[in-house]
Amino acid sequence: MLAVSPLRNNTSKDDDEGEMESTFTISSDEFPDFADGNLLESIDFDDLFLSIDVDGDVLPDLEMDPEILAELPPAGEESEMNASGEKTEESDNQRKDEEENKVSTSKGDEESVSKREEPKAVKTGSKDGDKGRKSSIKGKSNNNNQGTRKLKVDWTPELHRRFVQAVEQLGVDKAVPSRILELMGIDCLTRHNIASHLQKYRSHRKHLLAREAEAASWIHRRQIYGGATPVGGGGKRDVNHWLPPTMGFPPSASPMHHQNHLFRPLHVWGHPTMDQSLMHLWPKHLAPPPPPPRPAWGPPPPADPSFWHHQHHRVPNGQTPGTPCFPPPLTAAPTRFGAVPVPGIPPHHAMYKADTGIGVPASQLRRHPLVDLHPSKESIDAAIGDVLSKPWLPLPIGLKPPSTDGVLVELQRQGVPKIPPSCA
Amino acid sequence: MGDSSTSYIHMVQHMIEKCLIFNMTKEECMEALSKHANIKPVITSTVWNELEKENKEFFEAYAQSQSKQDRMSEEETSRMIQKMISDSSSKDPDK
Repeated sequence: MLAVSPLRNNTSKDDDEGEMESTFTISSDEFPDFADGNLLESIDFDDLFLSIDVDGDVLPDLEMDPEILAELPPAGEESEMNASGEKTEESDNQRKDEEENKVSTSKGDEESVSKREEPKAVKTGSKDGDKGRKSSIKGKSNNNNQGTRKLKVDWTPELHRRFVQAVEQLGVDKAVPSRILELMGIDCLTRHNIASHLQKYRSHRKHLLAREAEAASWIHRRQIYGGATPVGGGGKRDVNHWLPPTMGFPPSASPMHHQNHLFRPLHVWGHPTMDQSLMHLWPKHLAPPPPPPRPAWGPPPPADPSFWHHQHHRVPNGQTPGTPCFPPPLTAAPTRFGAVPVPGIPPHHAMYKADTGIGVPASQLRRHPLVDLHPSKESIDAAIGDVLSKPWLPLPIGLKPPSTDGVLVELQRQGVPKIPPSCA
Repeated sequence: MGDSSTSYIHMVQHMIEKCLIFNMTKEECMEALSKHANIKPVITSTVWNELEKENKEFFEAYAQSQSKQDRMSEEETSRMIQKMISDSSSKDPDK
C-alpha cells in the first residue's frame, strides 16, 4: 500500500505535468523494493530531481507527495524524514535542499525545520501552498489521494441543490446516502459526507415542518374565526392607523395561492430558486399572521407595499433602516399565506392533508385549533429566541415605544430598581 | 445607564410584539417571556402597559379581536361537536 500510493499519485500527476513522467515510470519499474515499505530509501532523489524545472514547476508535484506522506503512519514518516534528512545533507544541490525541505516541512516535522535555516521563507511559502493545495484538492479530487478520507466538503449552493434533487428523487425518508451519492454522481463526495449532510438537512426540514404546521394551524384558526377584521368598523379601513397584529404584515390580497404553497418551502432548503425569500423568512420571523379575509379588506393588492411603507413612515422611531431586506420578504411571504382568507373547503383540506402528512390525523386537527388557541411553545420560543439572538431586527409590528423614563419609574414603583436586572 | 435600559425595554417590546402576532394575552405574554427569555413578569407587564398607553388604538383593536375569537371559538366548537356526533352516528352505527 505504502509503496503503491505515491506511484499511483505520481502517475496521475504525470498527466498533469508530463515532466516527471519518465522519471516516475522508471522508478516504478526499477525499484521493486517499494513493496518493502522503505520508500524513500529506495528512491534515489537525485534522479527524481534531475529533470526539475528551474522555475519551480515541480512544486505542485512535490506538494502532492507530502500529502500522501502525511497520510502515512507516523512511524513511516519518521523514517522518511530521517532518510530525506540524510539525503539532503549529502547532496550538494541547493535546489534539492529546498525541495527536500518542502517535502519534510509539509509533513510537519519540526526537527527538519529547525535543521534548515536557509530556506525558511520558502518553507513557509510551501507550507501555505500546501495547505492551500490541500484544501482545494480535498474539495475536488479526493479520489486521487487514496480516495475517501474524511476530508472537508464545501457544500456550495450548487452542490447542495444537486443533493436536494437527489434526495427528493429518492424521497426524503428513503434517501440513503449511497443512493444519493450515485444520483449526484460526484466523485469527490464520500458516503460519509453525504450522510452527515443528510442528517443536517433532515433536522432542518423537521424544524421547518414544525413551524409550517404552526403557521398552518394559525391560518386555519384565523379562517374559522373570520380573522381579526380590523379596528371595529369593518368597512372603514384606516391604513394609517395602528392595526391589529394581523396587520403587522401587509394584507397581501394578491391572488390566492393554494395553501399548499405553504409547504413548498419544505423542499427548498437553501434552494436558490424557489421561495428563497420565504425560506429566509422562516427562521427569522416565525409564523407571520395570516392576513384577514380578503373581502373584508377591499383595498387592492398594489396598496400593499405602500401600506407597508406607510407603517414605517408612521413609526417615528425610525426602526426601519435596520434591515433593508426586511420589507420585501415580508411582502413576499404573506403572498403565500394570502391564500388563507379564502374561506371554504379546499384550503381546509389542503391544510389537513399537509398536517396529516406531519402525522396529525385529520379529525384531531379539526378539533385542535378550536380547543387549543395558543401557539405552540416551540413557536413562541423560536420567536423570542430570534429577538434575543438578533436584536438588530426591526420590530415586527413597530409599535410606538414607551418612554424609557415612564417605564423605569413604573418599575421602580413596583419594586424593580433597575433593568436589565442582575438576576432574572 | 440610560442606554442599556432603553435597549432592554426595546428588546422586551420586541418580544411582546412577537407575542402580539401570536395573539397572546398580556398574561400569556408575561409567562412566555419569563419562561423563554427570563424576563421578569413585572417587567413584561409594565412594558406592555406603557406600550398600551402609547398605542391605545392598536391595543383597543387588539382586545376586540381577541374577544371575537373567544366567542367564535365557542360557537365553532359546539358546531363541530354537533357535526362529529352526527358523523359518527351516521358512519358507525355500531359504535
